[in-house]
Amino acid sequence: MTDTALQIIVIGVLGLVGVGLYGLLAVRNLIKVIVALQIAVKGVLLGLVAAGMASGQPNLGESLAVTVIVADTIVAVVGLALAVQVRRHVGTLDIKALSSLQR
Amino acid sequence: MVAFMWLIILPLLASPAVYLIGHWGSRQNYPNAGRQAGLIALLATWVPFILAANTFSISGALTLTIGAMSLELDGLALLLAALSLGLGTLVALYSAEYMSADASQEKFYAMLVLLVAIMIGLGCATDLFNLWLWFEAMAVSSYLLVAFYREQPASLEAGVKYLVQSAVGSVFVLLGICVVLAATGTTNLSAIRATSALTPTFMAAGALFIIGFGVKAALVPMHTWLPDAHSQAPSGISAMLSGVVIEAGLIALLRALAALSGMAVSWGVLLIGFGVINLLAGNLLALRQRQVKRLLAYSSLSHVGYMLIGLGVGVYAGQAAGIEGGLFHMLTHGMMKGLAFLSAGALLWALYIRRGQHGALTIDDLNGASRRYPLMAFTLAVAVLALGGLPPLAGFMSKWLIFLAGAQTHNMFIVAVVIFAGLNSVLSLVYYAPIVNALYRKEPSNAVLAGGALPVTILIPILALTGGVILLGFWPSLLSGLVGPASQALLAALGG
Repeated sequence: MTDTALQIIVIGVLGLVGVGLYGLLAVRNLIKVIVALQIAVKGVLLGLVAAGMASGQPNLGESLAVTVIVADTIVAVVGLALAVQVRRHVGTLDIKALSSLQR
Repeated sequence: MVAFMWLIILPLLASPAVYLIGHWGSRQNYPNAGRQAGLIALLATWVPFILAANTFSISGALTLTIGAMSLELDGLALLLAALSLGLGTLVALYSAEYMSADASQEKFYAMLVLLVAIMIGLGCATDLFNLWLWFEAMAVSSYLLVAFYREQPASLEAGVKYLVQSAVGSVFVLLGICVVLAATGTTNLSAIRATSALTPTFMAAGALFIIGFGVKAALVPMHTWLPDAHSQAPSGISAMLSGVVIEAGLIALLRALAALSGMAVSWGVLLIGFGVINLLAGNLLALRQRQVKRLLAYSSLSHVGYMLIGLGVGVYAGQAAGIEGGLFHMLTHGMMKGLAFLSAGALLWALYIRRGQHGALTIDDLNGASRRYPLMAFTLAVAVLALGGLPPLAGFMSKWLIFLAGAQTHNMFIVAVVIFAGLNSVLSLVYYAPIVNALYRKEPSNAVLAGGALPVTILIPILALTGGVILLGFWPSLLSGLVGPASQALLAALGG
């Protein structure tokens, strides 16, 4: 892999993770929060594959990426399950309405 | 070898079995099936644990290779396994009555057994990615336990905060893994250690690991999930979270940083720095709490601070005493904080949960509790005084070992940190003492007078932990069989 290609991929990784983290700070809907988390993880997936390519271990990088997809799906499922419960028992998905605990 | 395999596989396989047995039992009008199966699974895990510990004491670290994955039971892993299995068993016994009114308790026990299994596995990881995977699995099983009271908006809020912050932490850990993989072409911890020349890259990776694992280890300012999660979870789970899960995060952080051992001195300084911030922030935030479980949660922050100072001093100076002090504090904190949460939870159960209420236990609710619940008042007082570091108890011994290790370095900077930590220990009594005062010197509140009796299954784990906290204060060497090998393993990993 050429250096230019690697640089483009690194920019892509940082961009996706940045969009995800910005989304976490900016959005108030719980479903969108989970989507933002997913975007950040997708950036990392790209990073893992690129890291494997850059170090001459493409198989390792790709197998790690596949494992991350599985693990991260579980987190998303649990997050969405919590969102369902929040909608049922709080009545809204707005995370501002959810902050009742004192500092 | 075989014992080691079963130590991990038995609780992992038992977890779905516990769920199925409990589910079947509740259909057959036998609601106790889940809790009994959970307790039996955890008790059965003690057999391979004792066999594996025995082999470890004779022939050193055990390794297990499954395909491309390799697990190693070294001293550090044994310490984490002992802590999680010990506290997990007591919590399973404690929760039998505590959770008895809740529907679907089989899920609770299945997740508890799974959490213990995962923490045993986490300690044994020899590969950076494998470490992350165990870490993520631990996070998922604890999300469900934190949000167990899913009808309570406060529990859901705590669960959501915990999930989002942990998930962000795990993104940072994965970015760190990307950096290490790109630089070295491997994720094996000892192979990374062998290529320790790439200083700036490893500095970046280490920073990412500190942010990522630091969320679970509750390093300030990544701690904001902790007070909510610890105060809203069922009390047994609060004890597990505070007594084992944050320690597991710390051990994962140490394992990852130890692989980047070329920078050990910088990691030592960073750990000490975070320790000082944690101490001060935890103590100041705990000062203004009126809810007992929230107060105990904030005090966990300051105790992580002591562990970090002990470990940081050890890593910085390359001496065993600091690491031993930090690891010993990890064990005693698990017992003391476990005891504090279980005792406070027993009172919470007697005053509120038994009647189907989910109120928070405030310090005012404890007024005069020694008249109605003399035993619980005594154990809670022992727990908070031990956490505050009063001399004949376990907390004093572990803090003393950390301070002594710091003083032995004869480094002005570290001695100043140790004096600061000592002053903070005194400061912490300012919020622990009102609890003891309320228990013994106030007139009983109406809530206390109306409280019901406590069942024996709640008393047994609390009394066992009380005995442990008092005994360890007199004979800290009782645990040297666990702490010694663990600190040797860590020092060897750091190349000391």
